[in-house]
Amino acid sequence: MTAVAPDTLAAGTQPAWRRWLRRHGWTVGVWILLLALIVYYSTLIPRFGWFQVASIVNNSTPLVFLAVAQAIIVIAGGIDLGVGGMLVLSSVTAAQLMEGQGFGVTLLIAIAIIAVAAAMNAGVGWIITVSNVPDIVITLGSLYVFQGMALAVLPNPGGGTSEGFRYMFTGSNTGIGSNPWPAAIMMTIAVAGVALWMGKTKGGLSLYAVGSDKTAAYLSGIRAALVKIKAYAIGGGFAALAGLATTAIAGRGNATTVGGNLTLNSVAAIVLGGVALTGGIGSAIAVVPAGIILFFLNPILTAMGVDPHGAQVIQGVLIVFVMAVTGLLEWRRRRRS
Amino acid sequence: MSTDLVSPPEADGRPEALTSRQKAARYLTNHPHLVLIGVLIVLIILTGIIEPNYLSINGLRNSALFAVPIGVLAAGQTILMLTGGIDLSAAMIATGAAYVAANQSPRGALIAIIGGLLVGLLAGAANGIGVGILQVNPLIMTLAMSGILLGLFTSWAQTIFSGSTRMGDFIRTVGGGSFFGRAVPWAVVVWAVLSVFVVYMLRRSGFGRNLYALGDNAVASRLSGVRAWQVLIAVYTLAGVFAAIAGLLLGGRVGAVDLQLAGVFLLPSVAAAVIGGTSIFGGIGTYTGTILGALILGVLQSLLTFLGAGQAVQQMLYGSIVIGLSWLYTRISAAQ
Repeated sequence: MTAVAPDTLAAGTQPAWRRWLRRHGWTVGVWILLLALIVYYSTLIPRFGWFQVASIVNNSTPLVFLAVAQAIIVIAGGIDLGVGGMLVLSSVTAAQLMEGQGFGVTLLIAIAIIAVAAAMNAGVGWIITVSNVPDIVITLGSLYVFQGMALAVLPNPGGGTSEGFRYMFTGSNTGIGSNPWPAAIMMTIAVAGVALWMGKTKGGLSLYAVGSDKTAAYLSGIRAALVKIKAYAIGGGFAALAGLATTAIAGRGNATTVGGNLTLNSVAAIVLGGVALTGGIGSAIAVVPAGIILFFLNPILTAMGVDPHGAQVIQGVLIVFVMAVTGLLEWRRRRRS
Repeated sequence: MSTDLVSPPEADGRPEALTSRQKAARYLTNHPHLVLIGVLIVLIILTGIIEPNYLSINGLRNSALFAVPIGVLAAGQTILMLTGGIDLSAAMIATGAAYVAANQSPRGALIAIIGGLLVGLLAGAANGIGVGILQVNPLIMTLAMSGILLGLFTSWAQTIFSGSTRMGDFIRTVGGGSFFGRAVPWAVVVWAVLSVFVVYMLRRSGFGRNLYALGDNAVASRLSGVRAWQVLIAVYTLAGVFAAIAGLLLGGRVGAVDLQLAGVFLLPSVAAAVIGGTSIFGGIGTYTGTILGALILGVLQSLLTFLGAGQAVQQMLYGSIVIGLSWLYTRISAAQ
């Protein structure tokens, strides 16, 4: 009963840390969940060392980058089913062009691929704003187009890349090793950069404005259409980055990878990361642990003795459970206020 | 919105001021299905020019057979989209239903069909509970359901459902057989009956009205006494059953089932509903449009096959056509 008084005293009188926790509670929660899972995992398996850490960090990079791509677009009020296709397309293009090249050349190719992918996805965003067709429909089309282009670029699995390029994403020239740092640094730079841009600059904040209320954003002088195209372009760039990571990890490209499934994983990751599918809410920082967790559940469940098929079932049930709990919390919060 | 209320009297006041071109444009705006029928006819003629043999009963029959699973799956997508939902687990439900039916086939056609439909009923109801009661986003709920079903059926394939993966004769006849001297496939008859049911339900029944109301304005429909959770559970269950029917038909046509049976039909089923003018945000759409969408995709498949296009070109064209048609449709139906 005594709690009634401070509650009614408006949020302004709350200590700063409580306000911070309220705003970033989800982000903190997902990171804590990830740490807890890692600690739990380390007790499950006989030997837990850098090799395991590196394996988790390296192999989850594609999903993390793809989820960040999806998060940027969803925060700006869209949804991009095509990111999975873009991942496959840039992955096979990289494998095709990089085979037998030196590190310097592969780096240039990688930058070019990111730029072209961003431009292509900007085109997708442009079509959406001009045509007024829902995002989900246009990007359903772009998913097919990208997947088809990928098959045209590399009909049979193959290609290659340079050792230095593999080191950049996996910390080892062969793709397997005990060095998680290069991948961790790549993720940190890219994600921290985009999170700072989205949270602190005018251009980045306009993504949130357009995502939460397009009309209001437009009336306050934001060129909503342009912002959306920008979000799609950056999302395309991140999807390409995910594709490059895929090529670096595997050492080759495979155009028969089903892009649609990758897209669906990215959507699951951003939802677990607290991004609202209705737009305007969420942060790229929380999407990183969510992406890692989604990948990480498989080895954990395997270590627990669950067979891989059972692991898939549990993963699905967990996602629904998390969503149901969030829905319940949101519903209670709205009823109280 | 406000222009809608103002413009009709103005237009009715002096209809003679319209040029014939404007009249035609307005007529198309009010009857957007005509555009789809036009596209369908053009595609059929185009395919006929490329491969003259196509313009025969046999050629058209193949397109129809390809359109059947898309059309039946898209029936589920259409009724769900009307409420603002979607079913990403439809393909997996269809696969699961076909798998169970094939497994139970040695025990007779009736048990096999009931077993298959039961898969759709249960998975659909679970989707409905998740969306209607637990308030999980439909995209996430059905996506998770798809993963759950895939996991369950992969492990069941080695345990309780190990054994036959061959469909029984009756289901094979219904899925792939024809009558009237191989002219009319049974699967098309099943689709036609289902279509009549869905169109009637959406246009004439109270349940159909509720679907439109819920998708158009959830708050208003709740305030006027619609119990949203009941409607949602019912509609997701129904969509699950449709998916199961699609799975049985597809399994019957292919003859033997595996766990990749219906996967490729998921996105086309969404595309068919979208091309047919159903809004993914709910409240707008008809099943007639979806049927046309499914037929267009069926003919398109034949066209791409005759062109001898590889998988790569097929997918690119397919995607471009989904974008182009939905753009065209939006332009025409919004040009008021």
